[in-house]
Amino acid sequence: MTIGMTSLRYVRGFIDEVVTHGPGLKSLVINIDKLPVTVPGQFIMLWVPGYEEIPLSPSYHANGVIRLTIRERGPTTRKIHSMDVGEPVFLRGPYGTGFDLSRRARYLLVGGGYGAAPIIFAGHVLHKKGFESMYIEGVKSREYGLYTEEAGKLGMESMLVTEDGSSGYKGLVTEYVEKNIDGYDIVLGCGPEPMLNRLIEICLEHGVECQVSMERYIKCGVGICGSCILEGTGLLVCRDGPVFNARDLLEAGYEVGVDD
Amino acid sequence: MTRLSTKISSLTLVNPLVLASGILGNDGLLLARAAKAGFGAVTTKSMTLEPREGYDTPIIAFVESGLLNAVGLSNPGYRALPDILKEAREGGAPVIVSIAASTPGEFHIIASYAEEHGADAVELNLSCPHVKGHGLQIGQDPGYTYEIVKTVSSSVDIPVFIKVGITDSLMETVSRSLDAGADAIVAINTLKAMAIDVYAKKPILSNKYGGLSGPAIHPVATRVVYEIYREYSPPIIGVGGVMTWIDAVEFILAGASAVGIGTAVAFKGLSTAGEILQGIEKYLDSEGFSSIEDIIGYVHRR
Repeated sequence: MTIGMTSLRYVRGFIDEVVTHGPGLKSLVINIDKLPVTVPGQFIMLWVPGYEEIPLSPSYHANGVIRLTIRERGPTTRKIHSMDVGEPVFLRGPYGTGFDLSRRARYLLVGGGYGAAPIIFAGHVLHKKGFESMYIEGVKSREYGLYTEEAGKLGMESMLVTEDGSSGYKGLVTEYVEKNIDGYDIVLGCGPEPMLNRLIEICLEHGVECQVSMERYIKCGVGICGSCILEGTGLLVCRDGPVFNARDLLEAGYEVGVDD
Repeated sequence: MTRLSTKISSLTLVNPLVLASGILGNDGLLLARAAKAGFGAVTTKSMTLEPREGYDTPIIAFVESGLLNAVGLSNPGYRALPDILKEAREGGAPVIVSIAASTPGEFHIIASYAEEHGADAVELNLSCPHVKGHGLQIGQDPGYTYEIVKTVSSSVDIPVFIKVGITDSLMETVSRSLDAGADAIVAINTLKAMAIDVYAKKPILSNKYGGLSGPAIHPVATRVVYEIYREYSPPIIGVGGVMTWIDAVEFILAGASAVGIGTAVAFKGLSTAGEILQGIEKYLDSEGFSSIEDIIGYVHRR
């Protein structure tokens, strides 16, 4: 895979809208004309000068508008959460692999926590293509919910799964998936690793194709620093992923483990 | 020896392409994957005595004709070498362990440990441009370099490579390294550089300074390979901005026995090795040479 020269330099964008979701969760809608278009699942690097740059998988990107959904977890994301409309941010990318949305099939979209970001973006693209899909989002409690309403507005079937039962289906998102997977051809997943591991197992049991977005600490984004190695596989999340076909992961020696 | 194979001191490589230090990190399986993708040898990231986290992001900045990095010698510490070497060697190519340290004693400890756990050669990084107390600060002192190289070369049996960077004392550092028993010279490391984003109005790298690699430094590296070969003719691994087979052949004609590849892997992926090798073979055919050995230092012939 070659990285295009247009993906290398920072492009400046300006915040157009700040959306506050649940506790510690915000989305920035950014006007940014010159950033090459992102495939759902690919990532960009967001830099706030004076702070660090962080990898993010957009929750929407089209026509010069990108949306980044960000959880506050350190000094850089705290700074980002304090930013207002009109302030500049610097993006480079997109990098890595995206979800394969090319086939006419029935897609089951599964997001866990803020891992829902690239999943709802995939929903937008599938909707535009007229492919059938269902959107499922798993969160601890209803106040952490992100995009089930948005999916509903697109006319997609959608379900919020809460661990505490405060809204929608009560339980783990993977439990809901296991009960409803029949009739789907492809599962797309992004979220905490135990969730993805279970998702892979369920797909294997049901003979359904599974594409998952893996998370590691990405520092350079282009395969130089080795920070995002997927242990035991020889795969780099930033170059070989972040979206992997589960079959390829298992072939490379990835273990879904049993401690989830 | 086949037509693409080459020798660096006592090491025989099936082809002249070496994965340069600092690319793809220090995961053994990833190094093995590079070997399987066609590299004739692979080099680990520089290992230090203690684990290092590396710098805050941004650690990389793209510029016209190259990129800057200030990764900050992030590595798990030399005690991780046994696992890394075991996995890396399964790729089937020689594994060169790069070492960054500040004293002869530290270099000695890591080099001996690397040899004990299966390293095929060690590369002393005397030229990292962005970490204080390591690299260039040592490499620009030929006397201290002599002491370090002497200590290491008298304590291990595997070949000892010296990686040099651009300093005023470069040729003296090379000369003293060879006097001290260095088996090969790796030239050149990245050049100390800075990139400023004009809209952010700040240096991009968190460390402000980084090492410049890529096409921008290739002609500088070619000059250095040429001069080292002209003066001392040691085995040389030419490194710096090799993106195509033409760049690789240029180094070999200038005097390199092997060619390091780094930034090209970031831009084009591991498949770049196969493409470069194909190009070299075609060049040998079209110009009527039977092997790599026939063209090493060719430009120096009268």
